[in-house]
Amino acid sequence: MTVGNDEAASIDVWSHSKKLSSRVKKLRGQFYSFDERTETNEPYAFSTGTPWDHVYSFHDWANEPAFYIFRASIRESLSAMAVDLELPDDFWDHTLPMRRAIVFHEAMTHYMPTLILDGEMIVGFHFNTALSRALNKREAKKRNKEMNKWFKKASRLNEFGVGTASATPGHIIPNYAKVLRVGFRGLVDEYENILKQPISSEHREFVKALILTCKTARAVNRRYAKESQKLAGVESDSLRKEELEEIARICNKVPWEPAETFWEALQSLWTTHMLVMAAESYPGAGLSHGRWDQYMYPYYRATIESGEMTREEAKELMECYWIKHNYVYDFQGSLGINQGINSGFGQLITLSGCGPNGEDMTNDLTWLALEVIDEMNLLEPKPNIRLHKNTPQEFLLRVAEMVAKAQGSPFLMNFDEHSIEGMVWQGVPREEAWDYGIVGCLENTMQGNDRSGTVDVNINLAKAVELALNNGKDVATGKQVGPKTGDPLKFTSFEDFMAAVKKQLAHTVKLLIDCGNMADTLRAKYQPVPYLSALMDGCAARGRDVNQGGTDWNFITLEGMGIATLTDSVAAVKKMVYEDKRLTMEHLLKALEANFEGFEETRQLLKSKAPRFGNDDDYADSIAQELTTFWAEETFKRSNPYTGRRYRAGYLSWNYYIPLAPLTAATPDGRRRGEFLSGGVGAVQGMDTRGPTASIQSVGKLGLEVVPNGASHTITISPSMVQTREHIEKLAALLRAYNEVGGTALQINVIDAETLRDAQKNPDQYSNLLIRVTGYNAFFTQIGRELQAEIIARTEHTVQ
Amino acid sequence: MTTTSGIITNIQRCSTEDGPGIRTTVFMKGCPLRCSWCHNIETINAEPQIVWYASKCIGDEACIEACLQEVLQLTPEGMQISRANCIACGSCVSACPTGAIKLMGETWDATALVEELIRDKTFFETSGGGVTISGGEPAYQADFVTEIASGLREKGIHVALDTCGYCSENVMEKMLEHVDMVLYDLKQMDPAKHEEYTGVPLEKVLQNARQVASSGKTMWVRTPVIPGHTESTDNIRAIADFIVKELPNAERYDLLAFNKMCLDKYALFGLEYPLKDYDLMSEDAMSKLCSIATDRGVSNVHWSGMTKHESGKKSMTIPNKEVNRCG
Repeated sequence: MTVGNDEAASIDVWSHSKKLSSRVKKLRGQFYSFDERTETNEPYAFSTGTPWDHVYSFHDWANEPAFYIFRASIRESLSAMAVDLELPDDFWDHTLPMRRAIVFHEAMTHYMPTLILDGEMIVGFHFNTALSRALNKREAKKRNKEMNKWFKKASRLNEFGVGTASATPGHIIPNYAKVLRVGFRGLVDEYENILKQPISSEHREFVKALILTCKTARAVNRRYAKESQKLAGVESDSLRKEELEEIARICNKVPWEPAETFWEALQSLWTTHMLVMAAESYPGAGLSHGRWDQYMYPYYRATIESGEMTREEAKELMECYWIKHNYVYDFQGSLGINQGINSGFGQLITLSGCGPNGEDMTNDLTWLALEVIDEMNLLEPKPNIRLHKNTPQEFLLRVAEMVAKAQGSPFLMNFDEHSIEGMVWQGVPREEAWDYGIVGCLENTMQGNDRSGTVDVNINLAKAVELALNNGKDVATGKQVGPKTGDPLKFTSFEDFMAAVKKQLAHTVKLLIDCGNMADTLRAKYQPVPYLSALMDGCAARGRDVNQGGTDWNFITLEGMGIATLTDSVAAVKKMVYEDKRLTMEHLLKALEANFEGFEETRQLLKSKAPRFGNDDDYADSIAQELTTFWAEETFKRSNPYTGRRYRAGYLSWNYYIPLAPLTAATPDGRRRGEFLSGGVGAVQGMDTRGPTASIQSVGKLGLEVVPNGASHTITISPSMVQTREHIEKLAALLRAYNEVGGTALQINVIDAETLRDAQKNPDQYSNLLIRVTGYNAFFTQIGRELQAEIIARTEHTVQ
Repeated sequence: MTTTSGIITNIQRCSTEDGPGIRTTVFMKGCPLRCSWCHNIETINAEPQIVWYASKCIGDEACIEACLQEVLQLTPEGMQISRANCIACGSCVSACPTGAIKLMGETWDATALVEELIRDKTFFETSGGGVTISGGEPAYQADFVTEIASGLREKGIHVALDTCGYCSENVMEKMLEHVDMVLYDLKQMDPAKHEEYTGVPLEKVLQNARQVASSGKTMWVRTPVIPGHTESTDNIRAIADFIVKELPNAERYDLLAFNKMCLDKYALFGLEYPLKDYDLMSEDAMSKLCSIATDRGVSNVHWSGMTKHESGKKSMTIPNKEVNRCG
């Protein structure tokens, strides 16, 4: 999932570099020809053939309110297209994990096609699936009942605009590094040793299920080896023939055996990765590689040092590997939810970052990866660069330069020192926390042993103000959603009001967590994923699926939305009602009830005369910090007793500030119902008026260590600010300062002409957009219209 | 310790154009010059002034009600401000719910201002930046400026002075003592033209430039390249020669191309920008002026700013004609 408030970038601006080889150009073009090509990775559905079978679980997708209305139609169309698997006679005698393993194994080794595209060096094409949940009739009945109960509750919370509660797959870093090192064979050896110990029969069958899925990976690549051999047999081009023979050799070896060369490592990694998406029946969203440049480096170095490959050849191989990730987007094709390709599926690659003693870990492969990212300009995989105080200047400049010319492609920076503090706060020992990785968009997790459930549960923080001002009632429906915190007219001080807000906040946290527990429990009970469990440390030994909390670190992240809207609303009440007394509570309530209709003066006053988060204003920032600490600590107190997964806080709002807008009543910051909530830890749109450095300092003051997931912060700058080398250096310095005084993650959007046009139309939403004029800086929205048009024209000029 | 107070119009954070690194620029109110191309008209007058933004006004007349001097009148043509009777007390500003009335010029105590200006200290440190004191003309509030500058430097902040150079030698000397570098404007080398375009004699400006040079402080010289006023090759050549001969500590020379971003600001004061019909410079002309300066021996010459689009260049969605007309 991507960050920020951008609409999906349109494809035609995404151009690759002229430097690409003809092979890579062709493969890239092949992906982008999605309107014409016949090869497609649209999902294949597989069923046990029973009338009660399901191949789709709504709790997997329920973090996204936009899917609620498509729920039934997606489920039905997937069921309708499902192929009935031929299953062994004793299938129903097995435990659920083993049944799921058998379904996975059968589907992947006997039904899925093995397509190799012309020119490909890394193979493995079809991985989008809708796999049977493999439930027997009794389980299915129970599951459906529990599912309905959860969904009723989740829908209610969504309707009230409180938030969403799901159990979302992906968003995890499997222990790919271990597969490269020991192969699936090594994992099987380890798991067979567990079988030698005195364990319960259930545990035994669970471990056997894991072993079966490890063998699935071997069988899948043997099928590709066979296909490659077949193609080599009829290939007339001798060079390609040699390549196909090498692919066949590699696929016969990895991922079963440890990888030795760079090519083997890339192939092993791709197969292992794509099969996770197949096993979870979830296309890529958040399934991430972790510190790719670290664990791939030994293979790269060996291959280069032995002279087996040149740097250029290794690069072409990486480019072939890169393209593969983009085929996740074919998932949207047949489901009627294809509203153009968007960049929502984040398979992240973590690059650079610090080592155990704060030393920098950038290597040759990190640099090469940046080159690949730069030249390919693809949607996936998405790079996250880890920056820290010892990041070499040369590397930082390279990153700044790439940010400056990124054509809207997601390019995130995570900041080690602040991120590591969050990991330590949630309990990860400091001697391990330095090796964190990033999933989804910017969410910090450990690698290979952590399911942090980012974006599982999402809370509308601004709702607490609505509830506090209405004695716990949702304004739109009149329903009692929160506790009765009293008639606001009887509040005698700001402290009374703040206490009510906090009570409502604690209650909405609880409501969502209760519902989140239901989703998490449902998945734990009815949707084991043995293949992914085989890739997560500790699951086999504990005899618990990754979805049951079987790995070492088990969290569910409650992502907070609208912190700036909440802060500004509380600050406005404090200042206008209780301090300056420019408004009475009665007047404010009337204005809010009328959605400010007939109260324009009041709305303007609240909008322009009250303190605002995002301006390095301690008045507002201290409120933001207090509320952050409050809800984050409330969250961290709770866990799901069924899985043992503990809740932690995050600030990732993805696009939820849009669907929640009509569900949140007018707020005391002058926002009318329907106007967007604030995104991530950004200011309310247009309310940060003091430039990027002030915005960064406000975010830094939130005290984000209590938000271990990390916080999404987007800064928008004009291309004029990064045109020259001198300005790139200033941007690099800004990033270095961010590492000291800012948050955990930053995206910088260098805006395009289209955005500028929008800014011209909606100046209130872009008041922080700084541009560079001759010899000085100015805010875009404060210069004349004609000149804005001029700058827009110039921006278009630069892009071309 | 008593501290001085002064009047400023704006604090601009994350400035990338006012000296090295990332800077916070503070604009002092009041200027002795009357340059016909002035971009910061709000800084000329030394006293605070109110301005009215039509686009933000909702016509509630709260300002009019609040004004005890009765200087405001809302007419179909907009807000009429009898500036002669306005005492800039700010009552209207706080009464206005929308921010449509603003006070240009805020009084700050030097100590408080220093605290405010160092908020981005971390950014200064990572970028080699600091605070730039600009205006208006800082020399107009020399005591205030001196106090701010010394306060900042006590806290280890790099201070740049952005000056037009028109002040007494004593004042310049006093300010110089407390700053790390000077951004120095040289506009026009023909004394008659200088006086005509800026309202003040050239000699003082040159004299002060020499004084900055003799202080040994780092100097960045800047010339606004204004069509019909300063853009001639002779003028740039003369400035270049002066730099080479008299300003050995000039590290950099910036040619700042004319723009008309200030049109709306003039309108706020009920004025029309005198240069509104002037064309922008062309890219070629700017590069040529750079080469002239370089050829005369000036090192580190840069130009920046808006230039008009050359016809025949790559495609644009807005037709050239329209672009040229507004620029």
